[in-house]
Amino acid sequence: MKHYNHIIRFVTILILVGIGFLLVRSFIVPDSFGVYGSYTYGYHRGDSDREQEAWPPLYKGEKRCGICHEAQASDIMSGAHKSVTCEACHGVFKAHNAETASLVKKDLSNAACLICHQQMAARPETFPQIVSLRVHMGEQDEAFEEQMTCGSCHIAHIPL
Amino acid sequence: MNQDRRKFIKTVFHSGLAITLFPSGVLASEGGTANLYAFIVDTEKCIGCGKCVDACKQENNVPDNCYRTWVERYRIMADGRVAVDSPYGGAKGFDPVSGDEKPVKAFFVPKLCNHCKDPNCVQVCPVGATYVSKDGFVLVDEKQCVACGYCIQACPYGARYLNPVTRVADKCTWCFHRVQKGLETACVSVCPMKARMFGKVDDPAGPVYKILKEKRLQILKPETGNNPMAFYIGLDKEVR
Repeated sequence: MKHYNHIIRFVTILILVGIGFLLVRSFIVPDSFGVYGSYTYGYHRGDSDREQEAWPPLYKGEKRCGICHEAQASDIMSGAHKSVTCEACHGVFKAHNAETASLVKKDLSNAACLICHQQMAARPETFPQIVSLRVHMGEQDEAFEEQMTCGSCHIAHIPL
Repeated sequence: MNQDRRKFIKTVFHSGLAITLFPSGVLASEGGTANLYAFIVDTEKCIGCGKCVDACKQENNVPDNCYRTWVERYRIMADGRVAVDSPYGGAKGFDPVSGDEKPVKAFFVPKLCNHCKDPNCVQVCPVGATYVSKDGFVLVDEKQCVACGYCIQACPYGARYLNPVTRVADKCTWCFHRVQKGLETACVSVCPMKARMFGKVDDPAGPVYKILKEKRLQILKPETGNNPMAFYIGLDKEVR
């Protein structure tokens, strides 16, 4: 029996190392690890789903804007811009009142229209687009372009 | 001999029962993953306004020079040359290219994470920080990620980046935080042409069900075997 002593010592050390590994592992690996999902692609910390779900959505949608801006919400649905949501042009929803209305983007420049309507080869042909204001209005002189904006003829919410 | 066999059968039966009754205890994991959602991009409708890119940046607080989604413009010349550009990811729109050379065909291709069924990026993650969620979203766990960058290299679509603020890998989440609350993704919600569609694969009333069944669709880089869940209508052979 005494000839086995060295084996017993070795096995004891091995077991201690094993226990030590499991102990350290139990502290390092988060509790929710591997609770959800498959082993192939879904092995992860389960709480991560909950944390990411909890992020607040910032884009609120047309209905939220329409609560106060009833007239504009119904205007836009009546014209060619009905598929354009409020936040597409006005930017992400920002809570505001009459005094802090400047928080919301209100860009009436030609550039704001041309971001969609500038003529470009890559745009679908059926989509309304103009080369420039002058060409659009039948080659007026340069002074004309300075005096006129898209808004001179079109209303942004009901363009046509 | 007979006694042993009875004992053996008993043990097998009991362990079988245990696995059936307490699967979470024995297998440690409940349920698999199912790819319940799909994204459809209609390149024939896209006008390249870049509202989607802008909305994504606002909604997800994406740092400058990083993009979770972006719009590429392809211009194919008469001699077969292909010019591709995507200034600011398309967030500020595109300039009309002046000059004599007119492309024979041109189109926009919005891109984003494909939320693949068999994602390379997940396979290479050494710490289990990136994963496919129960309903098929490919997500990054900020707290587990060690920013080794393997996933960024592994993604054949270039959909991932190293976030300079959080200092971990980051990517499109298909607006996981919105979809779980029943909202559409930010990019889909602002698209004026309805060129982007997102919804449940098996919801007949949803926006993608009919298109997935009836339309002719393509995926990007099928040869990589990632099985993307983002599908394209009207994709040209030149698109990479």
